[in-house]
Amino acid sequence: MHALQKLFPPTEFALLAVILLLPLLGAIVNGVFGKRLGKEAVTTMALFAIGGSFVASLASFWLLASAQSAAHAKGSEEAVRFLWKGWEWVRISGRHDMAQLPLAIDFSYDALSGVMSLVVTGVGFLIHLYSTKYMDKDPSYHRFFAYLNLFIFSMLVLILGNSLPVLFVGWEGVGLCSYLLIGFWFDDEKNAAAGKKAFITNRIGDFGLIVAMALLVYYVGSLDWSGIEGGRSNLLTRVQMWPVGNQVPGTGFLQASMPSVAEALNRPRFVSAASLVGLALFLGCAGKSAQFPLYVWLPDAMAGPTPVSALIHAATMVTAGVYLVCRMAGVFVLSPAVMFTIALVGAGTALLAASIAFVQNDIKKVLAYSTVSQLGYMFLGVGVGAFSAGFFHVLTHAFFKACLFLAAGSVIYAMHKRIHDTDASQDMRNMGGMKKYMPKTFAAFAMAWVAIIGVPGTSGFFSKDEILFKAYTSSVAMPVAGGKIMDPRSGKVALELWGWPSWGPTVLYAMGVLGAVMTAFYMSRLVFGIFWGDFKGWKIVKGWKEPEHDEHHDDHHEHGPIEGPKPKESPWQITVPILILGALSIGAGFLNAHPVHIAPLDHFLEPVFKFANGAKDVAVAGGKGPGVALHPNAHGLMWPLMLPGLLALVAGAGGAFWVYVQQAGGPAKALAEKLPGLHALVYDKWRIDELYEETIIGAVDSLAEFAVVFDRIVVDGIVARVTAFIVAASGTGLRLIQTGHTQAYAAVMVVGVGGLGWFFVAPHAAATVKPDEASGSYQITAAPGLGYQYRWDSDGDGKPDSAEFGSQASLPVNLERGEQKTVVLEVKNAFERVSKKRVTLFRPKADASAGGPGVVQIEQGPDGQLRGVVPGQNKPIELRRPAPPPPGGPGALPVPPGLRMAPQPPGRPNPAEPHQHQPGDVH
Amino acid sequence: MMGQLVQHYVLLSTVIFMIGAVGFLVRRNILVQLMSIELMLNAVNLALVAFNRQHQGNMNGHMFAFFIMAVAAAEAAVGLAILLAFYRLKGSVNSDEAETLKH
Repeated sequence: MHALQKLFPPTEFALLAVILLLPLLGAIVNGVFGKRLGKEAVTTMALFAIGGSFVASLASFWLLASAQSAAHAKGSEEAVRFLWKGWEWVRISGRHDMAQLPLAIDFSYDALSGVMSLVVTGVGFLIHLYSTKYMDKDPSYHRFFAYLNLFIFSMLVLILGNSLPVLFVGWEGVGLCSYLLIGFWFDDEKNAAAGKKAFITNRIGDFGLIVAMALLVYYVGSLDWSGIEGGRSNLLTRVQMWPVGNQVPGTGFLQASMPSVAEALNRPRFVSAASLVGLALFLGCAGKSAQFPLYVWLPDAMAGPTPVSALIHAATMVTAGVYLVCRMAGVFVLSPAVMFTIALVGAGTALLAASIAFVQNDIKKVLAYSTVSQLGYMFLGVGVGAFSAGFFHVLTHAFFKACLFLAAGSVIYAMHKRIHDTDASQDMRNMGGMKKYMPKTFAAFAMAWVAIIGVPGTSGFFSKDEILFKAYTSSVAMPVAGGKIMDPRSGKVALELWGWPSWGPTVLYAMGVLGAVMTAFYMSRLVFGIFWGDFKGWKIVKGWKEPEHDEHHDDHHEHGPIEGPKPKESPWQITVPILILGALSIGAGFLNAHPVHIAPLDHFLEPVFKFANGAKDVAVAGGKGPGVALHPNAHGLMWPLMLPGLLALVAGAGGAFWVYVQQAGGPAKALAEKLPGLHALVYDKWRIDELYEETIIGAVDSLAEFAVVFDRIVVDGIVARVTAFIVAASGTGLRLIQTGHTQAYAAVMVVGVGGLGWFFVAPHAAATVKPDEASGSYQITAAPGLGYQYRWDSDGDGKPDSAEFGSQASLPVNLERGEQKTVVLEVKNAFERVSKKRVTLFRPKADASAGGPGVVQIEQGPDGQLRGVVPGQNKPIELRRPAPPPPGGPGALPVPPGLRMAPQPPGRPNPAEPHQHQPGDVH
Repeated sequence: MMGQLVQHYVLLSTVIFMIGAVGFLVRRNILVQLMSIELMLNAVNLALVAFNRQHQGNMNGHMFAFFIMAVAAAEAAVGLAILLAFYRLKGSVNSDEAETLKH
């Protein structure tokens, strides 16, 4: 242990490089050489890369945990952060009054990224192992593992990046891998389209992330985690959103006729910079984590292979948004409005997606909507300020949803072996009674199922219960009365924050409980549909024929269509990972089991979220900044609030049992027949895709069509033809010159050489001026040439200073302020030819206009008195200290009118002073 | 005195060079053109040697003149070989007929 600690000190934690680079190595080796290496080598490389990364993550986690407990023992509440500095990438210029901001490729490792990287590499390893069998028969086996390793690398960059730009690189990387893997079987048009949809929808979110980074550079002046934490109080400034500019365009004429309307239209509206940053960040999170309105890509993403759905679209990548909210918790809590938006969007998405999951028949689609819904839960959790609860749900969801997807994949694997049809092998209506045939898969699926519906004691119960509990008891409150933050200088209201409505927690809690009922119902429907009842997939066995009812029929055929092989249990590479994940879904709850007071994870993450709880470090005049506040009676409400959650479980799961097991789906069919319109609407996912198709995609399409017409008529028709004509005409003209007669070319050459000779025979007078306005000494330097001799006329009276030409190539000139002078330079070359040049010099006055800016230097005399001195003038300016201190604070000195205070030494160029002369400027 | 002498040589060199240049541009017989080139090269040689008189103790001009002679010999060899090949191809030594490069 000591050796490890010595090898990897906290400020140069090179173990992060091992975690990061192993998957990258795997991706490169498998991607470049995979085809020649063969299947065995590809498998070894991929598993070794991710496994090594997992081991390194474990070691890092252990080092972090011991460092954190050591720090805790010393009484430090600071979050321990291991750093590994790569290199400086670029420097960007921020606000005009700011130094250049370096963007460094740095990685850091703290409690949040530690837990996350364990999930990514651990679950990632199990899914890699699973894929070795699942993708066994695929001809692009090596390509699959190259992408998968590249994904792990990108995800680790996202998690371990120490600043937003590095995170963004990973963010885009996982987006790319998601696109590549969704469209893995790209020869099917549908899969390629799904990949494209995911990519483009994510781009909309990424735009928000870029905007957020720009805003943070502007307001905070930093993009790395500690810099943002340190400077986040700068976000509590107001930004005018409306009107853009001075007034709403076109309201000028209203001023006279209807002044009240004009005033109402032009009334300025403000938001805090924190809200802008928070909303922009949340747009990014909503894109990546499939929240309303950008969730539409995730269900389509199930076109990819099932391990991909488990790894990327359930366990890791889609939780990146939640991770980002947790990471930027300190920024988000500064805006109660954004936090409420996040919670509301999360709860709304949870309900919307759950309602769609009710009626889907494709088992992967059900799980996809379930993922969207569970992600909504996570955002509900982080939105109410329960960051560790939301993050805990990320963790448990990674286990049970990965398990569900992989177990569903095992079912699909078994079905596909019989049917050889992708869609049919995912259709729930072809399954049933599978628990007889696939007991291990069923055991894993059932473990994850009881976790997701929240059976007490399982991980899902603890994480969901914690979120529901916090939805009611936790909110973002403003310790400042009324949310009014005062400007310390003017004493006026600088920023007015929007407070949470009193009905907020109740509504969020109710939505959460309703979502829990729906989750329990549709998940139970899925489980009952796959594993209970009789197997319904016999009829679609390839090559199986309807028994012919002819005269030769025997008894065997009369007993029903039992033909073809039975579904078989999957091999160990598939069952072992899902059983491990199933066990984790059951047991992981005790990482954060608040009702039984076992919460090591919460304790571990506490330092990371410390600055979000109460926002104590954001001091504003008249109190503290906004922060997370708990219900006064939160502790007493824990058990009462658990009851609705349990009732939701009983209602949902019991209802599904009654409908789908006892009545064999009868009531559901009856309801669908009774309300065919509603059923069709929900089955078509509320037709939100169609809505987007009509509005946004339609608008883009018509823009594209316009562009095509514009291209055809204007670009091709006019621009291209005119250009082609010019080129053709000049070609025709130039062809006349090219005669092919050597002598004609030689004649042109003779003329050219003659011209050059003439140029060299003639002298050329040219001069550069090096001005020094402060001292008034100007230097004129004549351009050199072969055999040149110079003669100057420094007073500009038309007579040269000396009759003879000499070798003096430069002339110093001294000018008073405001003086103008003309100097004549004459140059003679070796052929006795002379050329002349007039140079006019002008030195500007001290103040370009009376009362304009100048420089006063404040000095302390030997008597201790302060004096003001204008550089270049020897007259001291008397300074008086007025009786009452000005509002700018003590120490401010009155400045004589027309002079600007500048605490800088003389000689430094004053940016406010107009520069009439630049070096090389010649009049 | 010496400057005067050099001036005469340079003047002679210019005249020979102009004769060569005009001859190259005006005549169509490739053989005559080659001879014109020789004239120009030797005019330059003359100028170099004449100028070298002004820089006593320094033989750069002479050295360049020898270089030019060597180059001129090579040029004549190559030029005459091209002329022979051209004559075999076209049956003429008229430079106007050497215009294949135009196309």
